[in-house]
Amino acid sequence: MNEPPKEGIKYIDSKVYLPYDYIAGDFKVRYLNALKDKRILGSKCSKTGKVFVPPLVNSPESFAPCNEFVDVADRGVVTTFCIVNIPVIGRNLEIPYVAASVALDGADISIFALIQECKAEDAHMGMRVEAVWKPDGERQGDHEDILYFRPTGEPDAPQASYINRL
Amino acid sequence: MTRLRNVAVVGFAQLPVVARDEHRTSTEMLYPVVRQALAECKVERDAIDYQIAGSVDYMDGRPFGFVSALDVMGSWPARQDLHLEMDAAFCAYYAWVRMQAGECDTAIVVGHGKTSEGEPDRVLNLQLDPYYQAAIGLDPTSTAALQASAYMARTGATDRDLATVAARNRAAGARNADNQMRSAASADELMKTPWAVQPLRKGYLPPVGESATCMILAAEGKAEKLCERPVWIHGVDHRTEMQTLGARDLSRSASAQLAAQKALAMAELESAADADVVELCSVTPVEELIVAEALGINRQTSKPSINPSGGPLCGHPIMSTGLIRMAEVFRQLSGRAGERAVPGARRGIAHAAQGHCLQQNIVWVLGTERRWT
Repeated sequence: MNEPPKEGIKYIDSKVYLPYDYIAGDFKVRYLNALKDKRILGSKCSKTGKVFVPPLVNSPESFAPCNEFVDVADRGVVTTFCIVNIPVIGRNLEIPYVAASVALDGADISIFALIQECKAEDAHMGMRVEAVWKPDGERQGDHEDILYFRPTGEPDAPQASYINRL
Repeated sequence: MTRLRNVAVVGFAQLPVVARDEHRTSTEMLYPVVRQALAECKVERDAIDYQIAGSVDYMDGRPFGFVSALDVMGSWPARQDLHLEMDAAFCAYYAWVRMQAGECDTAIVVGHGKTSEGEPDRVLNLQLDPYYQAAIGLDPTSTAALQASAYMARTGATDRDLATVAARNRAAGARNADNQMRSAASADELMKTPWAVQPLRKGYLPPVGESATCMILAAEGKAEKLCERPVWIHGVDHRTEMQTLGARDLSRSASAQLAAQKALAMAELESAADADVVELCSVTPVEELIVAEALGINRQTSKPSINPSGGPLCGHPIMSTGLIRMAEVFRQLSGRAGERAVPGARRGIAHAAQGHCLQQNIVWVLGTERRWT
């Protein structure tokens, strides 16, 4: 009596299927299309002049609209970084590798970037890096259009130039 | 009744409900609406103490999408913030509670949800238990049809009765520019539309839509400065039923009935007949009949006017549908209802619901005068 069945069902295998069809939004559409032409677009806050990459419709900080699109450089400065020693799902990267926050010249916030052609122990804050693009004709208008960033060999940027753009 | 703090609706903005906005993500749709609501009150974001949002990340499939909404709500310097996976009408309730506790004087309440990026039927199926109800594939239309059958069996309501309710909403809704469905249709026409899930016809169900909404609430002392004709909260109550559909009498809404009794008592009203206008969050004609019954509304009389906006049958942007009911009563009582204005309206009731078969219900009683002196 009251003994659970020996071969009782303990779990239910349930698969949740939720398909999505993501809208990029007009701001991101312009940004993604510009990548095909090796251009990186940001948007400029109408109140503070700060430039956000990828472009945002408004400044999260000032709440003012960002109606103006501006080109930023495809090179910039490492503001912070880490050295990854564990494999990443979906990317076939040799470990260890450097993942960094890069403030592009002309942008007031950083993007996240993979750094290659750089030994892990050589990575440092203030290091100047540039984008390595996919060849002409292969760019699709997505983030994979930039393969990675690599050191430029330029002198390091002074900390004051990027400390507020982390 | 204890004296509570007088709190008012002082501003509201929404995007017209559409099937699909191709140009903006959910939060990008929300940004101009927050700006517009603040502009209506002639203040900047810094003038508002508290913010609360209603959305569901499953809707547009962006994990932590509710966090990205912070970027368009003016959340810096760091604000007090709350998020609910509920229709924004329930967020308004939380803001009201915070004001009663004296923790804030003003709040923005937003709702957003981009239904066209996902499949709402699949998302809302997940509101049910995973072992049985969700597993057999119930979606909101199927559960609403189960409810409709139960109601029709109990009351003898006919297909024509359902068509008549839908036709009245469609006629009213044609005057509301914010609606997705803006064409009137007769009961005869609607009775010829095919079955969606019998006994519900396609003509008795709203199109799936999307929008973004922002309401501003303010307590006495601030409300008068933000709005020439604030609409005051006289009573509110919020009740929830069991999740298990089989455990409930689907032909009735016990929680809407109790919420209405409590809200009317708080407002010191005898009955819903004391209101000039009611907006019911009914996404099928049967839900309208069930909620009207729960609120004690006599449908044979002309007062109160029911869903002069056209109701959810003419526009159902999930996560905002309930807040829009409250906003419609605000519009009616503050002289902003335009062509659909109920003449001389001074008191109104707004109902919002969430969940399968009206699982959760909230009832607001609103008026042109302060409730407590």
